[in-house]
Amino acid sequence: MQELMEKLAVFLSWTMTLVLCLCLFIFLSYLLIKGLPSLGAELIFGKAEPLRVLLGHDRVFDGIFPAMIGTFFLVILSAMLALPVGVCSGIYLAEYANPGMKKLFGGLFDILAGIPSIVIGLFGFSLSIFLHNHFSDRFGPCLLISSLSLAVLVIPYIVRSTQMSLEELPSNIRRTALALGATRLQNIAYVLIPNALSGISSGLFLAIGRCAEDTAVILLTGVVAMAGVPSSLLSQYEALPFYIYYISSQYSNPAELSNGYGACLVLLGICAVLFMFAYGLKKHLSYRMLYRV
Amino acid sequence: METKNKIIVDGVSFHYGPNRVIDNVNATFKTHALTAITGPSGQGKSTLLGMFNGMWNDTPNARCTGEIQIRLGDRWISPLKKEIPMPLLRRKVAMIFQEPNPLPMSIAKNMAFPLKLAGIRDKNIVKEKVQRAMKQSFLWEEVKDRLEESALNLSGGQKQRLCIARALVLEPEILLCDEPTSSLDAKAVGVIEELLVSLKSNCTLLVVSHYMDQVRRIGDQVMALEDQGLKRI
Repeated sequence: MQELMEKLAVFLSWTMTLVLCLCLFIFLSYLLIKGLPSLGAELIFGKAEPLRVLLGHDRVFDGIFPAMIGTFFLVILSAMLALPVGVCSGIYLAEYANPGMKKLFGGLFDILAGIPSIVIGLFGFSLSIFLHNHFSDRFGPCLLISSLSLAVLVIPYIVRSTQMSLEELPSNIRRTALALGATRLQNIAYVLIPNALSGISSGLFLAIGRCAEDTAVILLTGVVAMAGVPSSLLSQYEALPFYIYYISSQYSNPAELSNGYGACLVLLGICAVLFMFAYGLKKHLSYRMLYRV
Repeated sequence: METKNKIIVDGVSFHYGPNRVIDNVNATFKTHALTAITGPSGQGKSTLLGMFNGMWNDTPNARCTGEIQIRLGDRWISPLKKEIPMPLLRRKVAMIFQEPNPLPMSIAKNMAFPLKLAGIRDKNIVKEKVQRAMKQSFLWEEVKDRLEESALNLSGGQKQRLCIARALVLEPEILLCDEPTSSLDAKAVGVIEELLVSLKSNCTLLVVSHYMDQVRRIGDQVMALEDQGLKRI
């Protein structure tokens, strides 16, 4: 009976894993079949000449190039805002907070993680109105407000991944550095953080993915259908998730829908590039901090 | 106080919450001598060692009473009264643990790490101190051509010698060794024992060990921690 249960457990685990891989395969294959025919210079640059666009001499009106740039800036800015806050909060929870504080702040961060993205978008919109009314006319829904809102959305992922990866480090690593004369801060900076980089970066990957795909937040905080390449942090912008949303809801012919699928592939590609960059950065930092003589 | 003494323990007791682990211990430890401390498991030998470099400070509900005086240079200080910052104390009163614990870094980074913590960054000074410490620990010739390799790839004996070398790089006055050979094979044990004895000219050593034959082999002075008290044997 026990042997049967063991075999059943293995079978179930394998089956579910295969089902998941199959879903991923079907999903990616479908995207490739639908989107590959439209992938090309015309999808990205429209009728404009690519070189002139890249050199800034021409604007793109009917391609996704501005949306690509907008998405890229959005993700980078959101990650740059979220990373220091998230990592520092994670360090506080793992290294400085007493059990009571850990429970309290952990609960608060869990609540923050559970807030629907549309609510955060609404908050961002309200913030932009407040700044517009009380500080300057220049403020309004814009790239900066969107990035701030997305940062709030993804901070809980980074906090939890930082906290867990620090807490999982073996106690002999902490004890070793302290026994060698490290202060608490030195222990965190020179030993714990470098050894927790893998865990922290997994939180960053999640954050990048979330920032790249979320539409609800950016709908209320600055994205528009036609804005060109963003010229400043306070300008409105285009973004691929929003492009995919409105093209799939308002397409008038199959070619336009195919462009939507093509944009999906481009978005996946941007995410892949950002993941590889983050992975490379983590590897380089790990090597530099831990191994290079 | 006599300059031949390095550590004086006077009426020291240690409690974890309501549990008294060490009770009214008195002892003196001589300069440039290897004192071996033995006794049954759970008697508080590691706890006693930890009291000399403040490693018990972050333990919740831990309480220590009595007096410990340690002579560093020409000055007597009390680690229990925190008369100097703990990081400074631990650079002068170094500790080796039972399990070899190189940090997950390269061999060179492990060796240079204590110097980095102490703010010593001059590359020539770092190189000289690292080489000297590794030669003292009989490790230099074995690893000099692979300093960028991970320290985790070393054998058990090499790891422990690396840990000793790392502790020696800041030229501590006291070396506390908590069962440094218990996780090693017989050949590695012999090397570590020879190394510890050779270090007497550089510092004062306190070595905790379960093995009576070992303590008699290497110890200038042998003490037993039993029934919460410490006595010479």
